[in-house]
Amino acid sequence: MSRIPLVDIEQQPESIREFMARRGNLNVFRLLANAPNVFVGWSHVVDELFDSPTFDLRTREVAILRAAHLQGARYELSQHIGIARKTGLTEQQIDAIVDTEDVDAAGFSHTELVVLDLVTELCNTRRLTDDSFAKARAVFGDEALTELLMLVSCYYGLAFVLNAVDLDVDAAARFQP
Amino acid sequence: MTRIAYREPKDMTEQARELTLARGNLNVYRTLANAEKVFTGWMLAGQAALTSPVLPLRLRELVVLRTAYLMDCPYELGQHRDVARTAGVSSDEVNAITSEADWRTDHFNSTELAVLQLTTELLTTRSVSDAVFDQAHRDLGSEATIEVLMVINRYSGLALMLNALDVDLDESARLPIPARKDRTDGLTS
Repeated sequence: MSRIPLVDIEQQPESIREFMARRGNLNVFRLLANAPNVFVGWSHVVDELFDSPTFDLRTREVAILRAAHLQGARYELSQHIGIARKTGLTEQQIDAIVDTEDVDAAGFSHTELVVLDLVTELCNTRRLTDDSFAKARAVFGDEALTELLMLVSCYYGLAFVLNAVDLDVDAAARFQP
Repeated sequence: MTRIAYREPKDMTEQARELTLARGNLNVYRTLANAEKVFTGWMLAGQAALTSPVLPLRLRELVVLRTAYLMDCPYELGQHRDVARTAGVSSDEVNAITSEADWRTDHFNSTELAVLQLTTELLTTRSVSDAVFDQAHRDLGSEATIEVLMVINRYSGLALMLNALDVDLDESARLPIPARKDRTDGLTS
């Protein structure tokens, strides 16, 4: 049960209602809208990450699910497992990312395996070794690698907010990526 | 040594350049500007966080320093040891908060201790007990509690990026604290 009350959508300023109309009437937005001064700025991060063409949808969901799993973020998993399925990830692949840890046999591409390694090392150790960094940079280059870090950073940090508040998963509302 | 090249302000969009220069043209921004499709939004979020008057500056800097310490992020610590001093955090207090357990002292008032307890528990266990959450929430109210959590969100995520890219601490440039319209009826630090 959420430890902080969720706001009424109708009582929000236009900028917040407009964002929720596009991205979904999610509990996470109704939670963060308690702090409207920072919500609107944060919503720009979400919009730019999901409007960017840098990663295909599937690669993005691999990174998000892995970060959510390593952070124990039940809420993020509840939203993104469904999205991951729609991007073509198989049940075996989703299980490998969020449960069994057996990623080698799940038929991931080389790029996806590099993403999984990077997110895992980063979330577990809070840094990257020279070798891991070089491997990721060889695949992505500077711009996409930095953007991947932005994506991981967004979900890693948000997980702390969601876990702290013990936010309830949404009954039916779904994030619109 | 920073692992990728800095993006110079002259090579940024006008909005990204303005935001970067307004915040001291720091190495962190010139590094993250490599992600040009998402950098501006991230800077706007930072601007909103830095100018919101909801949290006392001192409390915000305590949360930033505690987060930087627990995330083992030398860049954030290097910047905010100095920034915190301008927000009324003494040198002894900076040292206390960037240590394992010395922060549990009488340097800090009860609200600050509740928030530091929440920050520490959250970053070390990824969750917070009922009692610790309730005390911080009771002291701060919902809006300021969410802002504290969003500070932890932002600086924990940023720590991952700074550590991954091994960004060098700026020689002397420090984050300028933008003017805010502080509340007079709000929380006391």
